[in-house]
Amino acid sequence: MFAKRSSKFAVLATASVAVAALTLGALPAQAFNPRSEAGVTATTIKLGITTPLTGSAAPGYSKVPAAMQAYFNYVNDNGGVYGRKIQLTVKDDGYIPTTAVANAKSMSNGVLAYVANLGTANNNAIAKSPVVGLAANHIPSIFINTGYSGFADRTKFPTMYPIFPSYIMEAKIMGQYIKENFAGKKLGLIYQDDDFGSDALAGFKTAGVKFDVAIPYASGSQSAAAGAGWVGKLKAAGAEVVVMFGVTSATGAALGASAVLGYKAQWILGSVGGDATTLKALGVPAAVLTGSIGASFLPGTTDTKDEYIKQFQDVNAKYNAGASFDNNVLVAMNSAMLTVEALRAAGKNLTRDSLMAAIEKKGATFASAAFSPILYSPTSHVGYSGYWFGKYDPSGAMLPDGGTYSLYTTDSGAGAVVKATIKRPAMPAKGLPNNS
Amino acid sequence: MRLLSTLLIGISSGSIYALMALALVLVWRSTRVVNFAQAGQAIASTYIGYVVITHTNNYWLALPVAIMAGALIGALSDILLIRPLNKRITSGPVKEIAPVIATLGLLGLIRSLVGVIWGGDLKQYKAPVSINGFTFGHTTIPFSRFNLLIVFTAVAVMAIFAFVFQRTGLGLALRASAFQPEIARLAGVRVDLVRTVGWAIAGATGAIAGVLITPSTSLSPNSLDLLLVLGFVSAVIGGLESLIGAAIGGAILGIGLALILEYVSTSLAFPAAFIVLMLVLIIKPSGILGSKAGRDA
Amino acid sequence: MLKSKPIRFLLLILVAGVLFLLGNVLPDYRVYEGATASIYVIAIASIILLTGYSGQISLGHGALMAIGGYAAVLSRKYWHTSGVISLIIAVLAAALFGVILGYAAARLRGPYLAGTTLALAVGLPSLANQFHFLGGEQGLNFDIGAPPKFLGSNFSTTKWYFWICSIAALIIFWLVQNLLHSRYGRQWKAMRSAPVSAALAGINIARSKVLAFIISSGVAGLAGALLVMTLNLVTPSEFPLSLSFAIVTGAVLAGIARLPGAVVGALIIVAIPDLADQIATKIGGAERISANLPGFITSLLLILTILFAPNGAKIGKLVSHGSTRT
Repeated sequence: MFAKRSSKFAVLATASVAVAALTLGALPAQAFNPRSEAGVTATTIKLGITTPLTGSAAPGYSKVPAAMQAYFNYVNDNGGVYGRKIQLTVKDDGYIPTTAVANAKSMSNGVLAYVANLGTANNNAIAKSPVVGLAANHIPSIFINTGYSGFADRTKFPTMYPIFPSYIMEAKIMGQYIKENFAGKKLGLIYQDDDFGSDALAGFKTAGVKFDVAIPYASGSQSAAAGAGWVGKLKAAGAEVVVMFGVTSATGAALGASAVLGYKAQWILGSVGGDATTLKALGVPAAVLTGSIGASFLPGTTDTKDEYIKQFQDVNAKYNAGASFDNNVLVAMNSAMLTVEALRAAGKNLTRDSLMAAIEKKGATFASAAFSPILYSPTSHVGYSGYWFGKYDPSGAMLPDGGTYSLYTTDSGAGAVVKATIKRPAMPAKGLPNNS
Repeated sequence: MRLLSTLLIGISSGSIYALMALALVLVWRSTRVVNFAQAGQAIASTYIGYVVITHTNNYWLALPVAIMAGALIGALSDILLIRPLNKRITSGPVKEIAPVIATLGLLGLIRSLVGVIWGGDLKQYKAPVSINGFTFGHTTIPFSRFNLLIVFTAVAVMAIFAFVFQRTGLGLALRASAFQPEIARLAGVRVDLVRTVGWAIAGATGAIAGVLITPSTSLSPNSLDLLLVLGFVSAVIGGLESLIGAAIGGAILGIGLALILEYVSTSLAFPAAFIVLMLVLIIKPSGILGSKAGRDA
Repeated sequence: MLKSKPIRFLLLILVAGVLFLLGNVLPDYRVYEGATASIYVIAIASIILLTGYSGQISLGHGALMAIGGYAAVLSRKYWHTSGVISLIIAVLAAALFGVILGYAAARLRGPYLAGTTLALAVGLPSLANQFHFLGGEQGLNFDIGAPPKFLGSNFSTTKWYFWICSIAALIIFWLVQNLLHSRYGRQWKAMRSAPVSAALAGINIARSKVLAFIISSGVAGLAGALLVMTLNLVTPSEFPLSLSFAIVTGAVLAGIARLPGAVVGALIIVAIPDLADQIATKIGGAERISANLPGFITSLLLILTILFAPNGAKIGKLVSHGSTRT
């Protein structure tokens, strides 16, 4: 008797209390108008980002939001965007798609656009979710932090604007470089066993490169022991040139193992795992890194002769509380600069649609640190499309072959890899965009 | 040669799993709690060791400091969390599972604290001895002085534990407190204190595991998570009731994983742990050295 | 603990009515959280049945949810099954796996079962990367379709998902509650608190345990399929280890042998991170602090709830009524 009444009461009481608690939460019930200028007021522009800040995917990437906010604060201190100050709402998704979608949903009314959302699976989930309604509500997701080629598809992802060259492009360009410089050598490949890796495999296949040994690893399983196993297989196959197309921790494991086992080969590091600062933090001996080949689309982080690098380092020192200036910070600030240019180009009447139209019409002219051209147009959502190659010197700096940056560009399809002349727009004065 | 390399790789990684497994089995045998916070205690101690190393550049100073930190954190975990929990939940279906969840909560707590204090960036420190593989003529094997140190440590810890548990008064008190706390109290054993000592020793062991594994990978708030899972699986393989079993379990898991990764596929790391575990449990459901009927103290 | 069926049914109808009102009144984001909470209710119910009643620990129910999720998606993709049929197939597929797991579990004691299910939770989802037809990391789409026309054009997909999830949760609640009050439920309670007496009374312990595992797996499979539905996508990273832990945590917070508590547990699991996030945003501070503060607060609140919630002692008395040993 008592049990029946108390549990009836318990259920009702709990339901009401919980509901009350949730209803009293901070989010107001806004009438949602998908075409309104959500996230824009006379004095502020709100942008949102969902990215791993904690969890096993966080090291390195957790620096991105702070670096972006640092650059935005620099711009805000210098007039903002037509008088509006940029605020970045940062949400942690721990690299889990369920959380990323919930984060995107919680921000969907309050931000103008998402910027630099990270991860293939997360971006895919956000794009596919009718709960968020990325396409239906015209929410731009700009300069997403992934190289997966699929997101450039305008029909499937109409409001997404990737910026990095795709992994397919990178693999094709690497393939070309290998054919030009290492023809006839035995080739090895280490790649991640998911879409990151399958993009790479597709690219190498298009480039016509055949590997004598190809070693997949499950994301998250990389360790010193695993690395020792990979090197064992490379040794057994006699690989002389090895492409390491994985994340930084895997690169560190592979290079570390080759040092430990005395395995000498010409390493070619993919851009995702090629950040020298992080590799050093992982204990990769300078001896192994030196002479390895790396690819990038931005200048080296230590190239202080480069006007963009110097400017970003300056902003980093003043606005980013002394975070070390590594590739993650450089990429973040570069994307932040592009964001400001996009906001400016959209004009004073800033809406989601005008932002996207601005990127499509004027994106190709935006100034950024990258040497690659930007290919945005009303019919293309492809951002950067090229890489340059360099060798790591003993200090970990990646120096371009022959002393000057030379660029290879291609597409994510069957197009050829071409050597392109670099036409990088001059940096706007003091790194503050002044485009319109 | 390929087989030998694989076995060596397996033994190296297995010895780390063994250390974590030893800590887990110790807590289990002396307090009947599956301590997921082990990874938290270990990571916090490892960070403390890291601080010592960056300031003194002395690994051999950092290790004992980390061990003491681990013991302290372990003891505090017991005093502040497990003891109150045991007092409040004395019976019922939740009694077995609540401590597991509580230690999970503690793990999250310690991890966020570590993240706040030291940030999420990767940190590193060098091993105290060479990490380069031994070279015989032209071939270099995937086994270095450092790997030797780790294996030696795991064996030593196992031997010390086994000795303490079976041959000393403390060990007897630990076993009695877990098996029949009321009777132990009657016999004059200070059960609460003894349990705390058990947690302290386990915390110290976890610290050793963390400090030893970090030079080969890197340090971040989540860097010991996988080790916790693999350590627990090793403990189960060995039979949770046996300290020697924990070490054997670690070796089996390490070698099993290495064999699967080498001969089957390099991308099967996670399913492989499950496969090795299942193969053992199918043959022996209570683990290699676990006892079948009833519960042996 | 005998509650008359009609009264319990009425109670559920009442709750359904309240939920319907809430779905119309609350902002879209809260409705989405409501759908998530309903999914957790179902998953937590599966643990209450398995652990609270039949006494078997599982730290790997995320893997069972994954099986349900992938089964639903694959059946819709290749056999073009309707939404409801896909969900049913999810239940069956997970239950089928539960048969295997159940027989293995019957041979394994407490922590050994915990270790096995833990390894399963870590190992199973990553298999999707091995077999191409499972879609790998990018995953496979799952579209349960737009809300039916008769609900009006303004009926958001979020509300539609909330309705499906909460109705499913109510149905599961009803079915599981009946099950727990039935002969099987009494068998499980007896097995847990006095196994020797139970065996003497003629209960086939092993078979009873396996049955509990099968049903628990099926229910978890449904939760997984619903989760996949709300995301329109199934990928391995939707089922991390933390999901399995969250479900068990919710069950413990619920008072592990108390089915109505599943609602409490689910709401806490959904509300606490939200609450922690709001607190962290208000406190602000350096990136390091604001990133880790939600996790810290969540863990702290969980520990405090477990320590100070009076579940343990009360449940012990409620479940073990009559027996002398607990």
